Amino acid sequence: MSTEVIKVNINSKEFEVPKGARLIDVCRDKGFDIPSFCYYSDLALQASCRMCLVRIEKMPKLQTSCTIICTDGMIVTTQSEEIEKAQRSMLEFLLANHPLDCPVCDRGGECELQEMTFDWGGLEERFIEKKNYAPEKYLSPMVANDPQRCILCKRCTRVCDEWMGEDAIEAGGRGANTVIGTYGGWLDCSQCGNCIEVCPTGTLLDGTYRHQARPWELAQTISTCSYCSDGCEMSLGSRAGELMRIVARDRYVNGHNGEFLCIKGRFGHPFVNHEDRLRTPLIRYKKGGKLIPATWDEAIRYTAEKLKAAAAAYGPDALGVVGSPRITNEANYALHKFATEVVGTKNYAATDAFSLKPFFDNLGAPLATHRDIRYAKTILLIGGEPEELQPLTAKQIRQAVSNGAAKLIVINSVPIRLVEHAAQFIHIRPGMENAAVWALGHSSNETTAAQKMGIEANELSALRQTITETEGDVVIMFGGELNAAAQMIVAQLANSFRADTRRVLLHPLPLYNNSVGAHDMGMMNGAMSVAEMLDATGSSIRALYVAGSFLPEHLRGREEALAKLDFLAVHELFETDTTAFADVVLPAASFAEIDGTFTNNDGLVQRVRQSIPPVHQAKPDWMITAALAAELGKDFGFQMSASAVFREIAERIPAYSGLRYPVLKDESNPVQARYNIVEPRDLSSALNELKQTVAALPDDGEKSNVTPRVGHELFKIGTLTDKVSQFHLLAAGNPRPDTVRVSPLYQITVDAKLERDAAVSGD
Amino acid sequence: MFIGAIGCEPLQLARVHLENSRSLDVYRKNGGYQAIKKVLDSMSPDDVINELKKSALRGRGGAGFPTGMKWSFVPKDSPKPKYVVCNADESEPGTFKDRYLMERDPHMLIEGMLIAAYALGAKTNYIYTRGEYRYLIDIMDVALEEARAAGLLGNKILGTEFGCEIYTHTGAGAYICGEETALLSSLEGMRGHPRMKPPFPAVSGLYAAPTVVNNVETLTAVPDIIKMGGEAYQKLGTEKSGGTKVWSVSGHVNRPGVYELPMGYDDMEKFIMEDCGGMLGGKQLKAVIPGGSSVYIMRADQIIGKDVRMDYEGIVAAGSSVGSGGFIVMDETVDVFESTKNLTEFYKHESCGWCTPCREGTDWLVKVFKRIAAGHGRPEDAQLMLDLCDNIEGKSFCPLGDAAAWPIQSAIKRFPEDFRKHLVTSIDSGVST
Amino acid sequence: MSTQPIQIQPLSQPVNIGDEVASFSPEVEAEIDGHLAKYPVMRSAILPLMFIVQRERGYLDAPGVAYLAKRLRLRITDIWEVATFYSMIYTQPVGKYHIQICKTLSCKIMGEPGITDHVCNKLGIRLGETTADGKFTVSLVECLGSCGTAPMFQIGFDYHENLTTEKVDQILDGLK
Repeated sequence: MSTEVIKVNINSKEFEVPKGARLIDVCRDKGFDIPSFCYYSDLALQASCRMCLVRIEKMPKLQTSCTIICTDGMIVTTQSEEIEKAQRSMLEFLLANHPLDCPVCDRGGECELQEMTFDWGGLEERFIEKKNYAPEKYLSPMVANDPQRCILCKRCTRVCDEWMGEDAIEAGGRGANTVIGTYGGWLDCSQCGNCIEVCPTGTLLDGTYRHQARPWELAQTISTCSYCSDGCEMSLGSRAGELMRIVARDRYVNGHNGEFLCIKGRFGHPFVNHEDRLRTPLIRYKKGGKLIPATWDEAIRYTAEKLKAAAAAYGPDALGVVGSPRITNEANYALHKFATEVVGTKNYAATDAFSLKPFFDNLGAPLATHRDIRYAKTILLIGGEPEELQPLTAKQIRQAVSNGAAKLIVINSVPIRLVEHAAQFIHIRPGMENAAVWALGHSSNETTAAQKMGIEANELSALRQTITETEGDVVIMFGGELNAAAQMIVAQLANSFRADTRRVLLHPLPLYNNSVGAHDMGMMNGAMSVAEMLDATGSSIRALYVAGSFLPEHLRGREEALAKLDFLAVHELFETDTTAFADVVLPAASFAEIDGTFTNNDGLVQRVRQSIPPVHQAKPDWMITAALAAELGKDFGFQMSASAVFREIAERIPAYSGLRYPVLKDESNPVQARYNIVEPRDLSSALNELKQTVAALPDDGEKSNVTPRVGHELFKIGTLTDKVSQFHLLAAGNPRPDTVRVSPLYQITVDAKLERDAAVSGD
Repeated sequence: MFIGAIGCEPLQLARVHLENSRSLDVYRKNGGYQAIKKVLDSMSPDDVINELKKSALRGRGGAGFPTGMKWSFVPKDSPKPKYVVCNADESEPGTFKDRYLMERDPHMLIEGMLIAAYALGAKTNYIYTRGEYRYLIDIMDVALEEARAAGLLGNKILGTEFGCEIYTHTGAGAYICGEETALLSSLEGMRGHPRMKPPFPAVSGLYAAPTVVNNVETLTAVPDIIKMGGEAYQKLGTEKSGGTKVWSVSGHVNRPGVYELPMGYDDMEKFIMEDCGGMLGGKQLKAVIPGGSSVYIMRADQIIGKDVRMDYEGIVAAGSSVGSGGFIVMDETVDVFESTKNLTEFYKHESCGWCTPCREGTDWLVKVFKRIAAGHGRPEDAQLMLDLCDNIEGKSFCPLGDAAAWPIQSAIKRFPEDFRKHLVTSIDSGVST
Repeated sequence: MSTQPIQIQPLSQPVNIGDEVASFSPEVEAEIDGHLAKYPVMRSAILPLMFIVQRERGYLDAPGVAYLAKRLRLRITDIWEVATFYSMIYTQPVGKYHIQICKTLSCKIMGEPGITDHVCNKLGIRLGETTADGKFTVSLVECLGSCGTAPMFQIGFDYHENLTTEKVDQILDGLK
């Protein structure tokens, strides 16, 4: 959109608007309400609902304001008898075949069709004929479908295509027989549920929340997702201490993700109120014995004594403190403070899959926000698989390419799904991501690197050319494949590619919701990594204090590590492979039960808000740590208040300086941490180191030509998703049950045999 | 069935009665491929477009847009390839002229397309034929093969630098694909939904490249225009509607058929009552739909003694429009309520479902018709139907909604007695004839 | 709870999408290649290819859909959305001879109802049904562009015009 200003007359008032502005946006912005269903910002225009009709002088018919670009001197009327009749009649048409079953519809109360009808519809129903009947059904374990309520705005098919790149749901049939659906009636996709979210009617519904609650019974709490590092803003709907559902509907929350969520964010929450949640602190008084319920006082006292004893016997460095990329900044900060100020150990770390410390230490350019990604002109993706691991990033990439004509360059050993959108795919041998970075670091390395990677050298020069020809933003993203030297070079790449008309932005792709925050809180600055600590148990490490659990990949091959400890204390929600060895288990509160902050891969510091009281006797992690510190004689001064913890964070961590909870309260106006951008570094030693690494890489690796199956990461069962039965169905390949037919409540859960039994019993 | 010209020398139908009329040989011996030769020998693309403008040829598909002007909208400097697409998706009820033009004289269409391709700089061209006309696709494929073998297609046509290809393409049963943007969606392999205009196909059509979509009859008129010159062609007709027009006539007449008439032919009564052999079985004329189903229905007394001139302006003045030129003649036995119900069912079946008013409106209207037909008519139903039509007309995404509304609006207004008898009591309120 | 299966509209009818992908003879493959060669974009060939699959397999069955998706490098849903839009593409089996009687205005007023009754009575089936031997399906279709030669029907791709009951008998009796 240009900065040139033109004049538009709307309802006899003159307005100055930027040239190229869309009429519907202008009218709404200027306070003239215009109804619409199919118009949805940043999706392909549809102009099919015909609700947004306006009268424009010199045009013969009413015009859809969603398709009109303002021109200078345009005279527009948005309200008149003629327009109101048209709007009334469109709603009458839409409701003609609609079942009008709002009392039993999950959408009732937050339904756009309902609201539009109240605002713009007529008073009487003239349709007395028989309605076109279509049965309710499930499209998948996650998505329930009542086709008769559909108004065919096709927001669902467009988000499926444009956001997700999956095109799994489409319109079939013609005319009045048009239905939204899939071939064979079973939805095979990543089950993000965005089609549910954008549906303005009760046509597509959350299959896991069917008939569970009415929207107006739910308290809506704006919070941040606890799965991947994209940090989607969401609204937690709770009722009477129970988390009922999670949505991103723009009536409740307006974050950088819009109405986007992925399967985990939207459906992965039943762990919160799951019956397996730990109910009390537990103490294993004797190795090999059972975990016995205990009071908080006793558990804290017991833990403090054991830690004190271990420190006394082996010195403070024999105590390891382990934080987590899944818990809040406040929790990690408290742990860091506990390690450094209470215990005085240099051995602390967070259980992340990889550390971003080398990247942040050498940061040469700002972090890209997701908005930057959407409007970037060139996107370079080195390794990683955002469509499975950071779905919002993947969505932004797709929209940048399809709506913004951005060029995507993918460097990967696997043809990931995003390759479909790529202008260039550099298909390297497995494990060669470091070689790619080495080549990017200096063009003289290209020939050797290309040979190693199994590609043509001109592929790398083409990449370089695309970047250097870009006017606008270049976003460089990287996954967990890079080693420390490669991270350092990527962090400094901006210095070689920056120009007056070109900004270079960086976007790391860590795996967890607070991977960046755990780094920021200093938890990655310890002397040992988590793996090193586990390797040292029984020798230099004698006791561990762990918030959360170790990742499966940490424990793999180290099954005996935890058994060698003198003492292990763990904060957890559930019993896990880690708590199996714990001497004390302290029930922690989940993200839905606490206040705090996460920092996402944009560096956005985002609020986590309490939606329900802690279940059972759970407590926030930072509070447990503070209680332990108090028992060991150190008052953290947090005064039972998460905001006090954050105030201290802001005072001590430079990137967070000046931040307070009130500054972070508006999710529509997110705040980025101010990371230190370092002066250009001498990269010769890093390049040299990489050269050695690259030279040592085997150059006979087989490239995979198989695009990974949708959901191969998303559907993986973890500690939390394990508590959602639908994930098990998906992980098993999303098998369509024989009974997927009509009855909304029975088809998923009831197999054919049970259905017969029900018939016999006359139920 | 009659095929021939009345009131003028046959142009488009000049060869239809010749033996082997669809062969290249016969076409060539009877003046065929002279026009393209003339074009390639002596005319620039602009010359061709100018002749078209002079000819006052208006698009014969139904909208009647001046063809020369349509061609002139194609941007000359566009770096994209350009396409000429022949719309042979003839599906308008009562219309079957294109079918006979292609069946009897396929090379005339090929020559017309070659000239268009030359004028617009198109290298690839398609003939989109409705799927039901499979036998015509076969005929066209044979003719195209003949032309290719004779150096009339491919590179260096007639030894010049000009080259282009023409391919046939099949529809698969969707009236909406006769709408030019829906046709392009369909040709791209999508559902046949119309697209937003602007951008118009001339700027962004097939594969987002400049495209001209013309009806069969429009393209087959082009060779004669070139041969006789635009002015001479225009003089065959009237000032604003040049040349001749091919009409399809069906229904209760003694001689249904395909008639070529000069534009401005006088008059419609003579045409029906004399040229078409008069009413079948000597019955009384009751109603005529003169332009395919998507126009206003006319009462007999709007034609008899009214001296209706048969061109775009004349028929509009008489209360309907030329549309696709498909006459459906109905005698006194026809219940216009029933005939309108029949057409509304057609539009419901053919509505693509994209936009609300057309999709839901036609569905609702059919339900109202069926309810009334089943004996449950109410006096207010006429008003209801008119209001529903008003709510569709001018609000739909493409003209199909309007096309569905017009027959009903005109039928209720012009044949109130046929509706009244189904609606139990009077339908007087607010309905005038 | 009622366990009576509820009538489902054809579009929501579950289709068993197996892993089977249709395959065709080299001649048919060559024909398909010929169609693909006409267009700069593969997807454009979707309708011609659907007719070929339909000709070879009777209707567009699941293996046929899978074949098209693979051949045109499209998703299954792309095939489905297009197939269900066009009335000449069958996603359910039809009889060997599909008698499509034009029911639009000109045919209607020129005797279509009598022809329809005659065809149905002769074959002993209702509209939309297929004879038990799978030979005939009868349905009403919209205007086929034979208004001047009404009434008419199309069997497969063949036009039969100016129909009378005697002519219908002759035509149907002649079909093996």
